[in-house]
Amino acid sequence: MLAVAVALVAGGCTSGGNDPGPAPTLAGGAAALPGPVPGGLALRPAPTDSPVAPRVAGTLTDGSPLAVADLWAERPVVLTFFSSWCTTCAQRQDGFSELARGYRDRVVFVGVAGEDEPDGVQAYLREHRVEYPVVLDDTGTIWRSYAVREPPAVVVVAKGGALLRGWPGGVDAAALDGALRELVLAP
Amino acid sequence: MRRSRYGRLAALLPLLLSGVLAGCGDDDEPRAARTVRVLVRDINIRPEGVDCAGTGPYTYFHNKAPYRVVDSDGGTLAEGVLPPGKSVRTFEEDLEVERIPTFCEFAVPVRVARREAYRLVVDDRPPIDLTEDSSAGPALVAVVPS
Repeated sequence: MLAVAVALVAGGCTSGGNDPGPAPTLAGGAAALPGPVPGGLALRPAPTDSPVAPRVAGTLTDGSPLAVADLWAERPVVLTFFSSWCTTCAQRQDGFSELARGYRDRVVFVGVAGEDEPDGVQAYLREHRVEYPVVLDDTGTIWRSYAVREPPAVVVVAKGGALLRGWPGGVDAAALDGALRELVLAP
Repeated sequence: MRRSRYGRLAALLPLLLSGVLAGCGDDDEPRAARTVRVLVRDINIRPEGVDCAGTGPYTYFHNKAPYRVVDSDGGTLAEGVLPPGKSVRTFEEDLEVERIPTFCEFAVPVRVARREAYRLVVDDRPPIDLTEDSSAGPALVAVVPS
């Protein structure tokens, strides 16, 4: 009986002896990192009295390392702090995903998931078509660096690392779009 | 083959179900509807009345976090996942700003058998004593930190 059960289970793990093929790409991993900065990207100079954004590093959903300062060395960055169980995050996420697609390669969105599980994060990213890189902040280090106490929260960092604006409690996509036009994109 | 396996499963189903239900106490015991209300006094700045999660030492209080209501022997009386909390003001004074100091309150409807004492376990953390309170309907309440 046991042998039959083992055979049934093992049979379910193969497909006729063929290789299972490559693992599916995880949403939020290295494949979601931006491409080259578009030529002619015109940005506003950051105010000289802006504080410096905390330089943080973490691990993307697929295990790839990410130093966020490497991204803002070339272009502005939007950090979106979220959790897959956060109802307000979910209500605003579709708008954020669309906005991030519109700004792709010009302004980089980076999700920072905290108080969460990788499976829950993946389901959330796929449900809301999140196509930007996402750090799993298991230890809460990045959240604490930006004084994030609960999701959602959003931070805008200028090219070069000046901290331009933060929204504890989050912000909707339309207001964020307006702020990006006002703070980072040259008219 | 498939029909045979499903037939065997169907035969086992009552046994499996009885095992699951046994984990939540004696089926013959009458159960009463209560609301478990937990006020997480984290004093976080939020608008009043919005979805919230615990902050600081209470980040494990959040939407979808697993919970159990247990008796003094640790027996499970009810279990599930928490809903989102709702932010409640910490004091009545009108500060004339949208974001004010708030607590995060969770309210969970449960059906539990009668016991002398109840405790709440969230995300397998140490149990929190619940107190019976009927001031706003039958409830089991706690304040953290107490």
